[in-house]
Amino acid sequence: MPRWGMVIDLDKCTGCQACSTACKSENNVPYGSPDDQRRRRDIYWNKVIAATSGTYPRVNTEIISMPCMHCDHAPCVTVCPAKATYRREDGIIVQDFRRCIGCKYCIVACPYGARSFNSREQKEEQYLRPDLPPDRNVWGQWPFPTRTHGVVEKCTFCFHRIDRGMKEGKKIGKEVVPACVEDCPAEARKFGDLDDNNSEVSRLLSSRAWIRLREELDTKCKVFYLLK
Amino acid sequence: MGLTFSRIEGNSRNFKILLILLAGFTVIGFICFMVSYISGHHVLGSSSIIPWGLPITITIYLIGLSAGSLILSALTYVFGKEEYRPIARLAVYLAIILIFGAMIGIALDLGRPEKSWRLFMFFVLNNMRSMFALNGILYGGYFLIGIIYLGTIFADKHEFIKMMGKIAIGWAALVHMGTGAIFGFIATRPIFYSPIKPFEFLSAAMVSGLALLIIVVAATFKFTKRNLNKEIIFSLSRLLRVLIIVLAVMVLVDKLTHLYPPDREPTIWLLTGPYSWIFWLLQVGLAYVLPLVILFHPQYRQTFKGVMVAAFSVVIGIFGERFSLVIPGTAYPLPFYPGKIEGIWGMAGSFPITPIEFFMSLGIFTLMGLLFLVGLQNLELLPVDEIEQQTSEVAKKA
Repeated sequence: MPRWGMVIDLDKCTGCQACSTACKSENNVPYGSPDDQRRRRDIYWNKVIAATSGTYPRVNTEIISMPCMHCDHAPCVTVCPAKATYRREDGIIVQDFRRCIGCKYCIVACPYGARSFNSREQKEEQYLRPDLPPDRNVWGQWPFPTRTHGVVEKCTFCFHRIDRGMKEGKKIGKEVVPACVEDCPAEARKFGDLDDNNSEVSRLLSSRAWIRLREELDTKCKVFYLLK
Repeated sequence: MGLTFSRIEGNSRNFKILLILLAGFTVIGFICFMVSYISGHHVLGSSSIIPWGLPITITIYLIGLSAGSLILSALTYVFGKEEYRPIARLAVYLAIILIFGAMIGIALDLGRPEKSWRLFMFFVLNNMRSMFALNGILYGGYFLIGIIYLGTIFADKHEFIKMMGKIAIGWAALVHMGTGAIFGFIATRPIFYSPIKPFEFLSAAMVSGLALLIIVVAATFKFTKRNLNKEIIFSLSRLLRVLIIVLAVMVLVDKLTHLYPPDREPTIWLLTGPYSWIFWLLQVGLAYVLPLVILFHPQYRQTFKGVMVAAFSVVIGIFGERFSLVIPGTAYPLPFYPGKIEGIWGMAGSFPITPIEFFMSLGIFTLMGLLFLVGLQNLELLPVDEIEQQTSEVAKKA
């Protein structure tokens, strides 16, 4: 069984937010609005943060793009009372909207702020996406074409793409990758099997210095950042 | 025991007006809940940063009151403190109502309350490693035990009362420690994360439950024009004094450990930031300092009014304690990466109390008030209005 992971090269990342946009269109995540953002209700499956250290003129800003970290020891899986979020055999932490009761305990427990609560019904026009690029049709429909408010949402590593690619016998990590990896113009993101020694992610992790975020919490997360 | 209990008539005009008022606010609360259920939680103050709002604050507050109230009823039935017998039935009934209100509070906070049955599919559909699922067992069992306990008291089966009382005390302590564990086991949130949390919750439960019991007993006896043996109130207040000190020490230890590295910032932010007034004014001021000053004051502690003021201040202050745990506990931004995080991801969340959330929360309280009055009317909870019979033998000697 593979163990999917992602490597993000901080040297290549330009902070262009293409991953966030790709994720929103691939997974039909609600647009949100300025008011939603001000009140922290907009849904992000992938966010890009900027961390500044030092003061002008000796200042450095790191751009960190953060999907769900898909931790092997996921705090959200431990606390979910309804088994709505669980770890698949291939290491992806998925959220089942049909089981989720909306208790928001996982949002409290997640150390990466990867989870968002869907607090309003999505508008009809948000399902009909004229802004979707035509090549999105290649992967077919997103598994949950309509969504409901009152549940917690998060990144899925685009498991619908991976499952379909596996079924068709394609090479995951080369031919089939999550939307954010596919759309990254700087090719800063790589996706692949962490247990496979020949995969590109394993090669990168063995040749470069890497970190994981919030290592002190022992989440054993599967998103790695290559240092500059 | 020459102690008989009776139900109240409930024919007076004021009683009926009170019933109608409470019912009205309950209906308003229910309408507000339906609005939030149908249109989504964007009408409430909670967000992805502060996921738990007023309903959860109220829930843990009510669980505290309930567990405390039940433990006190056991003073009579288990430890044989006869002087508390006149109020013991009331304490048990109050505990049942309060846990019911708490469960309603959880349901109001769920995004999908129609799926709340999933919380009770123990070991089948539930992840039993989750504190929330374990607490489902504790709350449900507590509600059942409370009802059976009250049933045995009404049936006057002495040997069973004592047994049920023992089970109920143990279970009540578990309920409250479990509730503390919901918060205390979350390593992500430094304000929550503490092994002392279950015990802090237990002592907070005892304090708030006792204070509420003092108020409810005094109010019920006054409004139903019964004579209350003031010595009950004073002896309860002496117990309250000790429990407040225990709680204050626990909170002090908790906050002190959090002021040491690592993860100091959230606690410093709690003590000095925008929510600090809730901590210092409500929690420290009203829950610990003011009642302790009154209850240790040589004159005020012997006046009925002084004890009542202290009890009120504790009940409000413990609510402040819950609020200053739940809301600021999640509001402080998470340290994703070393350095100052720019933009919204580095800002502390804010929690506006919207009218819908306020009336929804008020509805929980009015519903409980309604149940309480209906209970007084239909169950034999209060001792009969004869001073001779009301005070039991032991209390008369004392």
